[in-house]
Amino acid sequence: MRQILIIDDEDDIREVAALSLEATAGWDITTACSGADGIRAAGDPKRRPHAILMDVMMPGMDGPTTFRKMQLIPEIAGIPVLFLTAKVQGVDQRRFAGLGVAGVLFKPFDPLTLASQISEALGWKD
Amino acid sequence: MTDVADTTASLIAAIWLRIQPLIEERLATIDQAAAAATAGSLAEELRVEALDVAHKLAGALGMYGYDEGTRVAREIEILLGGSEPDAARLSALIAELREAIFPRS
Repeated sequence: MRQILIIDDEDDIREVAALSLEATAGWDITTACSGADGIRAAGDPKRRPHAILMDVMMPGMDGPTTFRKMQLIPEIAGIPVLFLTAKVQGVDQRRFAGLGVAGVLFKPFDPLTLASQISEALGWKD
Repeated sequence: MTDVADTTASLIAAIWLRIQPLIEERLATIDQAAAAATAGSLAEELRVEALDVAHKLAGALGMYGYDEGTRVAREIEILLGGSEPDAARLSALIAELREAIFPRS
């Protein structure tokens, strides 16, 4: 079963994303409300995620900073990260893609198709 | 819709109901910014707070099926991104946003 870590400071976004991925894809979801918590959760060897869905704009450590820190931790660095952002301007998208993330998904997402968007972005066939 | 889609939609609808106070609070922040802009006294701190709130609404409303709300919130976000937002336009947009989320008829 796929394990996904969702990192977002907005409670309802985490909740909607988690329930949609559990209900529509049957994935096992872990959530974190900040970049620091997300790094800790990703490093848990008992629940190492297959992918991380991470908000870009978070107070404290934002998505890009969290991603850069993750790249310095060998156990986490290989986990594909998808940014989740409400920013729709092309310049932002190019900046995020340039960081080396696996993809960028946009808010608001459709809860019924979020799992298929993730699978498509990561090339997952199952 | 399938059973899974129905169940997911009803769970999301329940979350939407639960976060009504948060949505109202966010709308009130933009109301305050619009009133301050109209009075010619929009403080930078309030502008930035309202900008953040508009960004959050733009990113969330469509998730609950309020696509028009996301569109209007995004317009508000762009407007508040300027240092001196057009007060009349901001007031019109917040009214439009309320109507998109909580239609009166």
